Order: sequence, then structure tokens, then C-alpha cells
Amino acid sequence: MAAKGKKERDLMGGSVSQAMGSEAGLRTVITTPEGVRLAFKAADFGTRLGAFLLDYLIMILIPIGMVILYLVLPLPYLMKVENWNGPMVQFLIILFLIMLFFVRSGYFMFFEMGPRAATPGKRVMKIRVIAHDGGHLTPSMVVTRNVLREVEFYLPLTLAASISNSGGSGWAIFAALIWTVGVALLPLFNKQQARLGDFLGGTRVVHVPREVLSYDLVNLEVERKVGIVFTPEQVAAYGEKELQVLETVLRERRPATLTAVAERIRKRIDYNVPSDPRDIAPDETFLKAYYAALRTHLEHRMLLGRRRKDKFDETR
Amino acid sequence: MSEAQNRPPVLQLKSQKFREAREKDWRALAALVDRAEKGKLKQFTTEELLNLPLLYRQAISSLSMAQSISLDRNMIGYLQALCARAYVSVYGPQARVTELVAGFFGDLARSVRKLWAEFWLAFTCFFLGALGGWLMCAFDQSWYTALVGHSAQGRDLMSTPEQLRATLGGAEKDDWLAVFSVYLMSNNTQVALLAFAVGVMGGVPTALLLIMNGMMLGAMLWLFFERGVGVEFAAWLSIHGTTEILAILLAGAAGFYLARRLLFPGHLTRMAALAQAGKVSGTLMLGVILLLVLAGIIEGYGRQTITDTGWRFAIGGGLLLVWVAYFALAGRAFGRKAVRDGR
Repeated sequence: MAAKGKKERDLMGGSVSQAMGSEAGLRTVITTPEGVRLAFKAADFGTRLGAFLLDYLIMILIPIGMVILYLVLPLPYLMKVENWNGPMVQFLIILFLIMLFFVRSGYFMFFEMGPRAATPGKRVMKIRVIAHDGGHLTPSMVVTRNVLREVEFYLPLTLAASISNSGGSGWAIFAALIWTVGVALLPLFNKQQARLGDFLGGTRVVHVPREVLSYDLVNLEVERKVGIVFTPEQVAAYGEKELQVLETVLRERRPATLTAVAERIRKRIDYNVPSDPRDIAPDETFLKAYYAALRTHLEHRMLLGRRRKDKFDETR
Repeated sequence: MSEAQNRPPVLQLKSQKFREAREKDWRALAALVDRAEKGKLKQFTTEELLNLPLLYRQAISSLSMAQSISLDRNMIGYLQALCARAYVSVYGPQARVTELVAGFFGDLARSVRKLWAEFWLAFTCFFLGALGGWLMCAFDQSWYTALVGHSAQGRDLMSTPEQLRATLGGAEKDDWLAVFSVYLMSNNTQVALLAFAVGVMGGVPTALLLIMNGMMLGAMLWLFFERGVGVEFAAWLSIHGTTEILAILLAGAAGFYLARRLLFPGHLTRMAALAQAGKVSGTLMLGVILLLVLAGIIEGYGRQTITDTGWRFAIGGGLLLVWVAYFALAGRAFGRKAVRDGR
């Protein structure tokens, strides 16, 4: 019922921005080469942390998996090598070292330079890297954003470890900790949720969701047959924000919400309920009719360049 | 306001006519993007490939139009998502691999030339460190262990000249040197990446890192010259060292550049200056990584197979010449291109 309560308040009280707020915040706007501003939903801190942890899990599991493979497989037997402690072992150790090197330094760069611009962790969380300047995501951007992980993550980690090993002062550990936390939480303090490497590389991490195109709620032919008519004053009671909340309500089609919202609107616009009960339209029909009238009215104003933000907007 | 009511009811809103006229193209674009997202871009026919950017531009213009004539939130949300998906497909990271590769080598040389002042600063730090390391050891031997410490690998104060010469390879075939050189390569790359990244802390850590690595080199040089095998050591070092040290100096220069733009952003905002610095130094760091991998390969193969001091110097010096020529000359607009650019 919380949702219902919120919708009611949105239409009635002053807190319309709540419904829109969750979407209006955390946006990354980029200007495409065509000169159009595209708004992306910035990947929020939790999502990115999740992707990061997944990637690190994979990075830790790769060498462990290699060692287990080495122990489990009867390699000397399989490869029929006589002198097992010779070049073969060396080759395997070199392979292992190169793999370690790749995992430690190349993992993020390799995957983010790929066609999906996302590491496996990011793909699971359905986010990807884009160029903030609106152009192609170039390898140099990817390199910068990932090399900065050295100071964001590895350096404080190794510092803290080496200091605590050598029994160094608590202050040094404390400073490393402050730096780590400060840098790690940087995404929380800007709207685009960018970390240090994003700022330097000129990149952002965003969601690229897919939306379904639904039907248009307005059908003027049907409305003419239904024949619910509103006076100009009644139509002028609300603005664009309320129209959009009403659209959400009509698309969700929850009976309780529909009834409550219809009740509120009737009250606000002083709607004369027909005396004959047979003439009373169902709540959904009433709301659809009002939505059609309101949208016709607001879109007409819009074409003339007179937009009305919400019901408190007094632009006439 | 009342005119909307007084006129006979229109059967369709303008925004609905707009949608009706364009919806087919949106759906076509969505189908193409769906396939591109599944990694099937290579299976596109020529017609589809040509259509993708066209449909994308149409959708973009639909979006900006819809935002000024329609209040259907579902439709605008759909268009936004569609344009975003199409945008990342059209302007994805691999949209022009060949161009990127061709452009990279010019960009790299240009970035290096742009950072000449930072490069000489890194150069000074490193070789002052080397000089310092040498002098410190010359005055007090105990510094050697402190400076070189864990990476001595059998090259400590107790070693005789013969033992030292043995570490330079060639005399006897040490099988484990190949493994060690891979380890060194990944370690050096780590140092280079770190030298760059700590640039955001104001550049002082970059300088310290360069000085410390220089000191290690200086201390080792001192030991080998002290025992009379200095020239051989320098030759052994030069074959891969010219490439490797150059790469580390370039990484240090990139770090100094970050620090400079952070402290003195000029007419840009600090954020914009950092983003611009990141772009230049990203190209440079990609070059540094390539140089270090190359140095690792030379170290792994060349150092064991080429044992003659003269040859070692020749190869190391030759590579250095190649790098200097490349960084000084590549990517400049010479004659023909300058004419083409309209001069």
C-alpha cells in the first residue's frame, strides 16, 4: 500500500518530485557527435561495487584454478616428457607468471577494450564503459582509467600490508586507510558516480537498459464515444508532472490505486458525478478520459512554447 | 486555453501522428541493435551496415523532436533507451580498429614530444638517483645491501668478480634466467604503472619512485665497476635496459604531467584539465606497456643468446637510436601532408 500512498501524495500533496526523483538523479548526459544530448543512467555505487567484487573474485580464481589444474592433471605422463624438471616446468612457470601478470595488470584493460566495453563482472551487472566526450571509447581512455586502479586500490593495500608487516606506526596505516576510503567513496560525491580513473580517462560507467515501446494511452475516437467532457478549468488543474504520474498509474492498472487517484482528481477538479448510477463511468475509463483531455491540452500548449511543469507552475 | 475545447475534437494528437510515421524505423533499428549486441555485427549485410547509422541518426532526431512535442513518457523513455543502445553500438570501442592502430603510432610520438619537459625531469630524477646510489655505496659499502637488498640475486658484497660475471649469463647456461626475466618484466611494468598513477598525488611520489629505482641501478653499477666487470655489466644491461629505462622514464613523465595539470590547470577547470591530461598520458602509457613487453622479450631471448659485449652494446644502442628517431620524427606533418592540409 506504500506505493498507493505515494501516488496519492504525488497527485495531491507537494511531493511530486519523489516519483520522478529516483530517475531524475544520477544521470550522465553526453553530447553525441550529432549534437544531441543523450541521457544515460549512471551505474550506481552498489552496482559498481558488485561488478568490482565479481571481477576480483574471477581474478583470484584464475591462478588458483591454474594451480589446481597443474596438481590434478598428470602432466608428465600426458606430455611424455622424460626430464620433467627441465624446460617443460620452466615453460609452465613462465606461462603461470604471464597469466598472473595479465590478471594483475591487464584484466580490466583487455575486457574494456573489447566490443562490449565491459568486464565479465560489469556484464553480469549490465553496465558498460562509455566515453564522456561522446566519441569512441579509445584504448588510451581505457588504459588511463584502469592504471589509476594502482593508486585507488593496490597502492593503499600494499602499503597497509607492508606497514603492518614491519610493525610500522598506526598513523601510516590510518593515512592509507583514509586515502583508500576517500578515493573509493568518490563516486558517491558526484552525480555521475565517477571514480578517479573515470575523471582522468574521460569515461563514465552507465546502464544501457532496454525499454519496451507500449501502446499510446490516448485514443480520441474512443473518448468521443465515451463522451466524458471536462471544462477548461477542470483540464487546467494539473501540469506535466502530474500527467506523467497519471500515465504510470494507468499503465500499471492496479485497481486500488486507480480508485484512489480517480477519487482525488474528482475532488480537486470538482467533478459533477452524474446522478444516475448507470451514467457513472468506471474509474479507469474516467482516468483515461481525463488523461486524454489533459495531454491534449498540455501538448497543445507545448507546441506554442508554453510548457507547464506541474500544478504549482502558474505560467498561463 | 479554451480553444482546445471549442474546436471539433481532433481524432489524433500531433504526437500520435508523429509516432505513427516513425515507429517502423524505430523497430527496425531496435532489431539491428539487438543483433549487434549479441556480437553478430560481422554477419550484417552491406545494406544493413549502411542502414544502421542512418536509422540511428533518424532515431536521434526523433528523440529530440519527441522531447519537444510529446508528453508520452513511455515513448520518450523508449526512444532514450533505444538511442543510447544504438549509440554504444555505433560508437563502440572497436568501431574502427585499423584507424586506431594506424593513428596510435603517430599519437604516441606526438604525446611524447608534448611531454618533453616532464621527460627531462624524469630523466634527471632517475640519473641523479643513479649517481647518488653510486656515491653512497662508494663512501659506505653497507648502503649497497640497503639499496639493492632483495633483488640482489647473488650479486652481493661477498661476490667475487667471477661470480658476478656468471650472473651476466653466457659463461654457463642458467636455465632459470628466462623465468626470472618474465618476473622482472611484470615487476617493471608494475613499477611503471605505479610511477604514472601516483602522479595524481602531486608528483612527489613519482619523483621518489624514479630516484629509488635510479639508486638501485647506481648501486649495482658501483659494485660491478668496483670488481672490474663494469663494462660487461653495462653491456648486459644495455641490450634490454635502454628500452626498459626509456619506458620507465616515459611513465614517470606521464605521472609528472598528471601532477602538473592537477596543480596548474591553466584556463581549464581542474576536472577538464585532468581529463585532457589523462587522454594524452593514456596513449603514452599504452606505448610504455608495449615497450616494456618488448624489453621483456629481448631480455628473455637476447640476453642469453648474445653474449659478446660489443654486440650487446650495439643492439642496445641501436634500439635507443631507433626509439629516439621514432619519438622525435613520427607523426609530424611533413611536406605532402602539410600541402594537403591547405598550406
